[in-house]
Amino acid sequence: MKTNSLFSFVLRYLGFLKAVPLLPLVFDSMLKLQTLWTNAGLLDWMDELEEEILTWQGTSTGLHQYGGVQFNAYGKEIGHLHSNGLLDVLYSKRIKAALIKQGRIEPHHIFTDSGWISFYIKKQEDKNYAKELLEMAYWRLRSKD
Amino acid sequence: MKFYKSDLFKGFAAANLFAFLLIGILKYTALQGSNTLIFSIFVIIPLMMGIIASWFWRNLDFKSRTLLGNSILNGALAILFSAVFLREGVICLIIVSPLILTFIITGAFLGHRMFKKNNQKLNVSIISLLFVVFIADSLSSHDHVNMVSDEIIVKASPEKIWKNVVAFEKIKQKDQFWLFRVGMPSPMQTTVEGYHQGAGRKCIFSNGYTFDEKIVTYKPNEDLTFRITGQPLDPEIMGHIDIQQGQFLLKDNGNGTTTLTGNSWYKLHVFPLWYYDLWAESITRNVHLRVMEHIKQLSENK
Repeated sequence: MKTNSLFSFVLRYLGFLKAVPLLPLVFDSMLKLQTLWTNAGLLDWMDELEEEILTWQGTSTGLHQYGGVQFNAYGKEIGHLHSNGLLDVLYSKRIKAALIKQGRIEPHHIFTDSGWISFYIKKQEDKNYAKELLEMAYWRLRSKD
Repeated sequence: MKFYKSDLFKGFAAANLFAFLLIGILKYTALQGSNTLIFSIFVIIPLMMGIIASWFWRNLDFKSRTLLGNSILNGALAILFSAVFLREGVICLIIVSPLILTFIITGAFLGHRMFKKNNQKLNVSIISLLFVVFIADSLSSHDHVNMVSDEIIVKASPEKIWKNVVAFEKIKQKDQFWLFRVGMPSPMQTTVEGYHQGAGRKCIFSNGYTFDEKIVTYKPNEDLTFRITGQPLDPEIMGHIDIQQGQFLLKDNGNGTTTLTGNSWYKLHVFPLWYYDLWAESITRNVHLRVMEHIKQLSENK
């Protein structure tokens, strides 16, 4: 999967700055500008995805601490979406391994050994798969509770 | 509905009025020296502009793309007003634009989330925190002097290089640095009144502006240090940066080559440093390299 070069550069060399208040939000704004320039439709698909998630019972959204939109179900995070279309979702390691076999997702771009996965939304069809991924995490959380 | 009565217009108008009101207060009060442009002007005020605009736009149900577009327009208006009312030069506006636009967009999306949740306690906390940072920054002293140093190897003896260091004819080489190409004045020629300590020197730039200098150290073939005694009244640098001193050091490498070092000291009046010092260093470095490459060419040719 080809990753976003600006995003990768910042994560690799400036990732230590993520704890500075406001900086992740500023970085996410820069990603938004880049997305507007390179793939403006992605901004609309991300909005649509958020609207759809918010129709599920017990869900809410907010600003993610490291930039982007955070999706919560019953007060717990199920995933977050950076403004370059990178969706990170939390599963168990077993579900993650099964999903990786399907070939569409990758281990999380930083926490490779955790249950987190990463998926890039690039085309409109990807939005549906992103919704499926979040839905799985949502039902996993609901079944736990 | 008439445009000027719409929430969209109110967002642009309120954000820009707020910004110019605060800049005016800072400029015409004794909070800072009249020349200093503090961190808050370029970070906190644009953030607040984004938040204020979002408050007026909160019922318009903007999608991300529209909010982003309107925030860019909001930033463009602020930059345009800075050119008209604050008389900032084009190069300054090019330099400041990424900072203003990024923080206005950040503020707009932060505000968009804040007013969607309508958590008044959280909203008041965020605005109060920004206000406290603004006040603290306004009352803090701002003083930053930096030195930029560059060196090149010249295939000539210090004696041969020295006369080209003290003064040189017009640089004919085309500008390589992108800011020089888009209109920033680049160094063109240096003249000197005498070859001794205390002599006057002039550094002439491509737009005709001149830096008046006075030689304070004159050690032939070793050290030429000059203090800047007069800066041109160019809006691009006036009140933003003071070039204080320049220096050329020559070191014989003993193998027919000489290490030529160029040093410049400047004082910045614009903050945040993590942004403007990058620009100041880059511009100073490119001034150095243009002059030093010319000296190298002259010394190696003759």
